[in-house]
Formats: sequence, structure tokens, C-alpha cells
Amino acid sequence: MLSRPLNPALDLPLGLGQCAQPARAESVLEQEVVELFDALRDSLLRYIFSLGLPVADGEDVVQEVFLLLFRHLQLGRSRQNLRGWTFRVAHNLTLKRRYASRRQNPLGSEAEERLDPNPTAEEWLLFGEKQAQLTAVFRALPETDQRCLQLRAEGLRYREIADILGISLGSVSIYLTRSLERLGRAEGQSKS
Amino acid sequence: MSRLDQHLTNRELLEFADGELAATRAESVRLHLAACWACRTRSAELEATISRFVQWKQSGSDPRIPPPEGPRALLRARLAAEASQVSQGQQRTDSQGWARAVAGIAALAIFVLGLTVFFQRHASFGAFDSASQAEAVPDRGLTPGAVRPVRLQDVCSEGQSDKNRAVPVIVQQQVFQKYGLNRARAADFEVDYLITPELGGSDDIRNLWPEPYTSTAWTASVKDALEDRLHELVCQGHVDLYTAQREISTDWIAAYKKYFHTEKPLLQHAATPSPPAQSLDQPEDSAQPQARTKVSTAS
Repeated sequence: MLSRPLNPALDLPLGLGQCAQPARAESVLEQEVVELFDALRDSLLRYIFSLGLPVADGEDVVQEVFLLLFRHLQLGRSRQNLRGWTFRVAHNLTLKRRYASRRQNPLGSEAEERLDPNPTAEEWLLFGEKQAQLTAVFRALPETDQRCLQLRAEGLRYREIADILGISLGSVSIYLTRSLERLGRAEGQSKS
Repeated sequence: MSRLDQHLTNRELLEFADGELAATRAESVRLHLAACWACRTRSAELEATISRFVQWKQSGSDPRIPPPEGPRALLRARLAAEASQVSQGQQRTDSQGWARAVAGIAALAIFVLGLTVFFQRHASFGAFDSASQAEAVPDRGLTPGAVRPVRLQDVCSEGQSDKNRAVPVIVQQQVFQKYGLNRARAADFEVDYLITPELGGSDDIRNLWPEPYTSTAWTASVKDALEDRLHELVCQGHVDLYTAQREISTDWIAAYKKYFHTEKPLLQHAATPSPPAQSLDQPEDSAQPQARTKVSTAS
């Protein structure tokens, strides 16, 4: 058995030592979740915004997603495709929140935002005329088409999108093709 | 096979571009595109629409996304709170469920006894069965592993001094208590770091667990050999520090098998360390640390 003298920098007196300062340490699982948060937060927020949730609510949803991910991993559940998992949970939480918000305030600003597909004056100013036109065309697409496009643009594969939205693989392909054709046609019209 | 007079649909073009077609179908689409200008033009138009859509989406949403520092700090705090809650909750559940568990344990004991008799008559137990492995791996709920903020150069320069870091007796008692081990059983275990300090493991109780001396083939000395190996690989740049921390904390036995290319502990690592002569029956205010047992694995 080997022993060594106490290192004052590492071994604090009892009561002030290892257990007394747990906040300084961070579990590997916590670190892993924070790293996933850094990698996926922006993509998740973009998707959540596209579902019509305001910025502050979007941040809340993202926090909740990663707390649930922490519990999921802590229970030793599947580590396969964690990106797809986070998008699926974010999708469900966002819809739940939207539903609750609409029930509480059927004529609230969020609902109004979704009803009007036209870009706001601020958006015209911010993104320019061409981008604003694309915004209008995109918002006029059926909601499932919009979601398929958003998720595909975030790099998700067809199977992941099908899982998140609860639709078949073939439907993902059909919706994506249909919405890209519409976007392409609208652009062709605006050019001519 | 696609024929030249049978143009591809937009759906086929998109699935091909997205890599979603089966290999044989993808090959026939590729051959068709090589020969058909009309389909190639439509494919390029689709790609151009995708490209404009992605540009629009990025330019449209990014300015609204707040900086990550605040939300990241909030998440860290919530995760820490969540981790400590789970740990406390588990302890509460352990004590509340004790009475209910007694009946279940009695039934289980009878079942296990029956099984043992059956196996003694019909087969011999392997020394490396899954039960043996299960005992040598900590409960992830109680010991998920914890690290201190270190840089690679810190780990590689201070590695040797960290090798035999002491675990104070009072902390050992807390660990045994957390795992529900009484004194008699505690003598069969060594309180060990799940992530060794050599790899940036912290002194937090979430990084400490009672490791069996002899009741499993996957003993503390086998784990020590893995720790040395990982430290070497990390400092040579073959494995990154985070991967080493994650692998050793997730399933150190799997990591051992991976890095030593073996299914069983190697003979030179299987030396059994002796339990410490020193008793844990010390006053609560004792400041004398219990040295962590470490078997030299130098070859």
C-alpha cells in the first residue's frame, strides 16, 4: 500500500474538503450534456422559432430539453442519435407550450403571428425584399411542409424527420419535394 | 434501371441528392443523370432552391438568437441541482422501500438458492460472468463520475503526483453509507475514484465508490492498470482527455477490454490488493486520511 503526505492544495481539512465543495466539481454526464447544448442550441432554437414560439419561451424549451436529456442519460437509456432525440423532445414540448398558450389566450400575439404569413415591416427592413418574399412563400406552405424543410435544413435525415413529426418516410420525401417545388416556382415568378 | 426516355421525378432527384436512395437505385440515377441534360438541369434548380432556402433561414433567424453564455450557465446550475436531487431522492427511496424490499428479497433468495443448486449440479459458474462485472461497476445514479477543470498539460505534468491521492476516512464512511454497506461488508471494499485524479477526476463524492477487493475478477488492481494505460494514451495524444473520462466513468470494464484487447483481466493486472489493516471505526472528527490502495502495474 502506498501513501503520500497531504497536499494542502488538494486535501482540505475535514468539513471543508471534498464533500464540502461539490459545486466546484462537475460530473462527466453534466459536462457531456453542456457540450451537446453548445452544439445543438442554435439549431434547436431556430426550429422552435419556426414553430412560432417567442425567443424567451424558446430558451425555456431548450433548457427543459437538456434537463430531460440529462435524466435520460442518467438512467442509462439509449445514446443512439441524441441529436434526433433532442429535436423530437423540443418539437413535442414546443407544441405543448403553444397549445397551452392558445388555450389561455386564444387571440394572443403568438396565434396572430402564425395567422399572418406576410413578413413584418421589421423583417422587410432586416432581411431585404428578396428574403422577405421567400419568408412569405415559406409561411404560406402547409405547416408539415415547413417543419420538414426546417428539420432537413438543420441537417436531419429523412428517418429522423419522420420520427420527430410522426409521419412516414415516404411522406417526408413527398412534403420536401412539394415545398421545394413551390419555393422554386415562387422564385421563378419573382424573377420574371 | 432508368432509361433515357424515362425522366427522373423531382422526388427521385431530391432523394438522390440527399443520399436517401438505396445503393442500386442511386447508381441507376447517377447513370441517368450522366446522360440526361434535362434531369441534370432540374437537379441543379432543386439544389439552387435548397441553397437559397438555407441562406434565407440562417440570415433570418440568427440575429434573434441570444448569446449562449447566460443560458449555458443557467443549464449548468440546473444540472448540478438535478444531480444532487437525484442522489438524495435515491437515498430516500432506499430507506422508504426497505420494508417492501424485505419480502421481495426473501422470495428472490429462495429463487437464487434454487438456481445455485441447479447450476452446481448442471454447470460451473464462469469466473468472468456478467454478475461479476455488474458488481465491479458503480451505480451510475450514485456515482456518475465528476471531474475538476483541468488542462491536458496539467494532467500530464501532475499525473504521477495524483496517482495515490488520499480519500479521507470520513469521506469513505459517507461513500459506504451512500451505498448501504455496513462495516462488516465495508472491509471487502476500497473506496476508489471512478475517474482517477490522474485523468482529472475530482474529489467529489459523486466520483467515489466502493470497489470490491476480491469478490470479482475485475478488481481495483485491474482498474489501476486501465488508469495507467489511459493516462499514457491521453498524454501521448492517442486518446483525448474527455473521451478517456467518459469511457472510464461510463463502463470502465468495457474500456479495459477495448484498450487491452482482451475479454478477461490480464494475469499481470489481476494481482489482488490486500484490504487495509486500518479500521474505519474512527472518530468522526479524525483528520487522518486513508491512503488509496494502488498496486504497481509497471512492467
